[in-house]
Amino acid sequence: MMGLVLWQQRKSRLSAMIDQPGGCSVGVALAQAKSNLETMQAKSLGIIGERIAELAALPAPAIGDPDAGRSLARAYHLSSAVIDAAGPFELDDLCTVAAGLCDLIDAAPATWPFDWRIVTVHAQSMQLIMSLPPEAIDARIQVLDSLKQVLAKKIPTPQSEG
Amino acid sequence: MSTTSFNENLRESAVFNLGNAVTMVVDDSAFGLDLTCEALRGFGIQTRYSCYSAADAIDILKDQTIDLLLVDCEMPGMDGHELVKWLRNSQLDPNAYVPVIMTAGHVRKSKVAAVRDCGANYLVTKPFSAASLLERLIWVARDSRPFLEVDDYKGPDRRFQTSVPREQNERRSDMIARVAFEAAKAEMATLVTPETA
Repeated sequence: MMGLVLWQQRKSRLSAMIDQPGGCSVGVALAQAKSNLETMQAKSLGIIGERIAELAALPAPAIGDPDAGRSLARAYHLSSAVIDAAGPFELDDLCTVAAGLCDLIDAAPATWPFDWRIVTVHAQSMQLIMSLPPEAIDARIQVLDSLKQVLAKKIPTPQSEG
Repeated sequence: MSTTSFNENLRESAVFNLGNAVTMVVDDSAFGLDLTCEALRGFGIQTRYSCYSAADAIDILKDQTIDLLLVDCEMPGMDGHELVKWLRNSQLDPNAYVPVIMTAGHVRKSKVAAVRDCGANYLVTKPFSAASLLERLIWVARDSRPFLEVDDYKGPDRRFQTSVPREQNERRSDMIARVAFEAAKAEMATLVTPETA
């Protein structure tokens, strides 16, 4: 049963200042933000490369290893870090692969040993995507499609089950 | 909280002013924090407080008033949603009511409910572009939803007002009365036509 509901109409200070004179236009703000972020793109690519390399080098935990959960959490953290660093630079393919790995780790039952080949194949796919030239669209699609099948097999949706 | 896309096109010529907003960004990743701060700087917002942990943020929130909080969801120790929940329950006025944008690379299924119920105004899932961040910022600045305290929840009303306000919306009884009146008027008109006269 729902308890007492207290309701307050609050106006934030942010709402008071947004329409004050001065400031800048949306167009200028976006151009400035884009320019600021562009100076960080090289660093971002370096960080992405490091995270993927660390992910690829993570050793598969032995069956029954009590620290297996920690290894899996590390793999999740590294994959999530790839999304963080790649996000603002429209590296959508990398983000898709990294998000797929996060989904698979998140969906893994705690009682079953995780198939570590999934981590390896995702790390290798990210390395492959990083090495492909921008015009290699077909190769990118092929990588993404094969990983999509892994995702569908490991996390069946009602459609794929039917 | 909502992850809804509002499809609100940002008009390039629209002017906004958040230059005086005292802003705090919390992210355990130094690079993630830099990315957010650089995007904000482009929008004319200087980040006053950069924190690498929820604990650092709490120390500042107890002493300083802020206007905007951006917090990463997944952090070691106290998580982003735990920080927001703490803040909403802190009774620190006005900080407890400050607009909060949560950012997340990936949200674990087990945490979706916790993130939804922590009291943040908006969740921005990555990858996010500068345009999507600005769109959410402006939306949050104009967010006029009331604050609710119900059971374990403290934060902006999670229901979004999409219907026409009641005073602008014809009530059903009024509609029935109007239809009856129009019908009676039409009947009267046929009664006074020359053919029937």
